[in-house]
Amino acid sequence: MAKDVKPTRKELMRIEDRIDLSERGHDTLEKKRDGLIMEFMDILDQAQDVRSDLDDSYDRAQHAINMARAMDGDVAVRGAAAALKEHPELTTQSKNIMGVVVPQIESSKVRKSLDERGYGVMGTSARIDEAADAYEELIENIILAAEVETAMKKMLEEIETTKRRVNALEFKLLPDLYDNKEYIEQKLEEQEREEIFRMKKIKNKKEEEEAAAREEENAEAEEAAAVTADD
Amino acid sequence: MTVRFEEQNWESANYEYVITRVRSRRAKLFDDDDYRKLVRMGPSEISRFMEETEYETEMNALGARYSGVDLVEYALNRNLAKHFDDLLRWSDGRLYDYVARYLRKFDVWNVKTIVRGIYSGADANEVEDDLIRAGELSEQLLDQLVAAGSIEEVVELLDGTIFGDDLAEAYQDYEDSGVLVPLENALDRAFYDVLLSGLPTQPEVDSPTGLYVSFLTAEIDFRNLRNALRLARSGAEIDPAEYHIEGGRLFDADEIGALATSTDQLVQRVRESTYGDDLDAALDTLEAADSLIEFEHALDAALLEYSDQLSNRYPLSVCPVLSYILAKEREVDNIRAIARGREAGLDSDEIEQELVIL
Repeated sequence: MAKDVKPTRKELMRIEDRIDLSERGHDTLEKKRDGLIMEFMDILDQAQDVRSDLDDSYDRAQHAINMARAMDGDVAVRGAAAALKEHPELTTQSKNIMGVVVPQIESSKVRKSLDERGYGVMGTSARIDEAADAYEELIENIILAAEVETAMKKMLEEIETTKRRVNALEFKLLPDLYDNKEYIEQKLEEQEREEIFRMKKIKNKKEEEEAAAREEENAEAEEAAAVTADD
Repeated sequence: MTVRFEEQNWESANYEYVITRVRSRRAKLFDDDDYRKLVRMGPSEISRFMEETEYETEMNALGARYSGVDLVEYALNRNLAKHFDDLLRWSDGRLYDYVARYLRKFDVWNVKTIVRGIYSGADANEVEDDLIRAGELSEQLLDQLVAAGSIEEVVELLDGTIFGDDLAEAYQDYEDSGVLVPLENALDRAFYDVLLSGLPTQPEVDSPTGLYVSFLTAEIDFRNLRNALRLARSGAEIDPAEYHIEGGRLFDADEIGALATSTDQLVQRVRESTYGDDLDAALDTLEAADSLIEFEHALDAALLEYSDQLSNRYPLSVCPVLSYILAKEREVDNIRAIARGREAGLDSDEIEQELVIL
């Protein structure tokens, strides 16, 4: 990388600007990542509770329907289920958690009263009521789990992306920029040293030439003085 | 009036013939040992065991179309239908009337199944398989109902039966609401309305008719009690009086409306009633465990125990026939409970708790 960089002062200034910007970006992304992780931990706790409730309600619903099928018969349970065509209504909205858009699912008509389930009250048993109750609770928990777990998944994706960006800045971009800066600085220092050395050389050469000239002048002067004396 | 009513009808009924045949059928019902064996079997073993019992014909007939516990359940239903249809065929006069009154509940089951099938767009063959042809409606009418293309057509076809007027009246409510509740309630109400109609309201207590009426009254009272408790538990804004069935001696419509708001008051009322002693343990369970299912279970047991008393006291009356009907129904319920319970992985103890065996 450093070899492609022009070791000029302008380039050094440009790299210093980029380092400044990257460091600020790195700090911001680190804060975002930490914030997202904190939000994620909250959602994770919520998701664990929801998942546990979901498991419990699934077990309860399964037990209730097994008992209803055993005691009232599969035909009776299927018949009671067939007495209703209406499905629960779901509406989805979205909310923003630290820049991550997560779904918000609203459900209606999941919980039904005894006279809204389609089957007649007089000819059915409490077992079917209990199975219907348990399944309504299960559906509510599934909807809640879908909302929380989707939010969790989206948060996790965003944390991963942010983490990759932070790591890219921290371990790739910034080290490269520091290397380039150092390279340019070293090159510039070297150029400066070479310049000084060259100037010194020139100075020495000039001094030597001046000394030689002076010696020559002195020699000529001495020679002239000797000729004059001889005359 | 009661005496004349009984005399008139005792003469026109063929009790001796029917009761002799019923005794032989009753002897074939599963006993404790059979249940003990079944509870320890897996679903496949239960199917195999059933092929060597009274249910052999139905198991073989349905074996090509169903398997596992579904086969057991359909075979049980078909066998039940065959036995109850035999009872109606054998019975004459007043006995036929007595038996048919109770077995019309299978007509209610069948009409509900057909209406639900049409409502949910189920296949006609599937609906037909779910029927229990043990009621009074003819095979031909049931076939016409299964083939009906709309609920309106079903209502029209049932015109002239005991369900005709109530269904026609409820049809408009169904059209307005779009749910089957009005039609299903109308069917149940029609069944309960004719259950006691024409019977003496205050028959001699210690007489076959008296016992029969007492049993039907208990059935209505227990149904009212279950419904009141279910409504009280559901918290729905439903007037319990709308679901009250006339003919019981435990509550009237006004009283049930007031009692259904408080389970405690309702329980107290039952404790103080004639059923108090029979249902004492069940009411304790209801109060302690807060479980309506266990209470319903106890009600079933109480009814069965009551019916068993019927069978011994008047050997030449409707009582042994009714007792057999209830015992057969209970056998079917028990076998199905065992098979489904084993299929669902319930352990033997849990299944045994759910069985009602005398």
